[in-house]
Amino acid sequence: MSASLAPECNEVKERYDTCFLKWYSEKYLRNTATTDECEPLFRQYKTCLTAKKALKERGIDQMLEEARADNKDNDAEYMKPSGR
Amino acid sequence: MRFFASKYEFAYSWEEVSTNNWRKYCAYNDKASHVIAVDTLSRSLDAPTHILRTERLITCRQSMPQWVKRIMGGDDTSYVYEVSYVDPQAKRVTMCSQNMTWSELLQVQEKVQYTPSADAEGHTTFEQSAKIIALCGGWQKIKNSIEEISLERFRQNAAKGREGFERVLEISRQVFAQQREEARQQREGVAA
Repeated sequence: MSASLAPECNEVKERYDTCFLKWYSEKYLRNTATTDECEPLFRQYKTCLTAKKALKERGIDQMLEEARADNKDNDAEYMKPSGR
Repeated sequence: MRFFASKYEFAYSWEEVSTNNWRKYCAYNDKASHVIAVDTLSRSLDAPTHILRTERLITCRQSMPQWVKRIMGGDDTSYVYEVSYVDPQAKRVTMCSQNMTWSELLQVQEKVQYTPSADAEGHTTFEQSAKIIALCGGWQKIKNSIEEISLERFRQNAAKGREGFERVLEISRQVFAQQREEARQQREGVAA
């Protein structure tokens, strides 16, 4: 799996990514998933990123706000239920 | 403004492609040395539609021509924001990306879709498109040059991206087969 931009978070990221990939291929794609089981691990990974100020120190926080605003149209289009 | 579009077919099922897409930049990919980190920022499963939305931050490091560096500043680390939508019912993965670094000078917006191939069963169609716009005021000539260079870089990275992903798909399949075989041997060993 790929590294994190905060090397201190690599270990928890690896655990999360492994969990997610298993859940995605074995449950989500087989339509047996109702919740994201890896969420507790995701929270740990996220806490690490926040604690290490990985996004804040690099000015990414600010850039993200703008990028998210730019992406609104995509959200509207691709979160729509598909015609079936 | 410049546009880029390409279409490609992977000889792997949509399930295999969409799973491995999450680790496109893993160690199996020897063509993605410019991607140094991939971080998931958020992930949510939409209950009624079952669409999985993921936000990722991709950290890249890639050398640039000297004169571009002078305009853009010295740092060659750049960040890309990517939002992906997996619709398991429609069997469609859509990924929308945009550059966050130097976005006041240059905007690169990319869209990628993976869907089951209409022509060959068990294959997956990959469609990629991008829009490149230089925003720096002033000389049109400079804008054109920046767009041309960016388009060329995009084209090179797109080709490398396909090659690298082919390798990830191939190795993942081998590793998976090996793991299955080991599990089988272990079971039989226990039974014997």
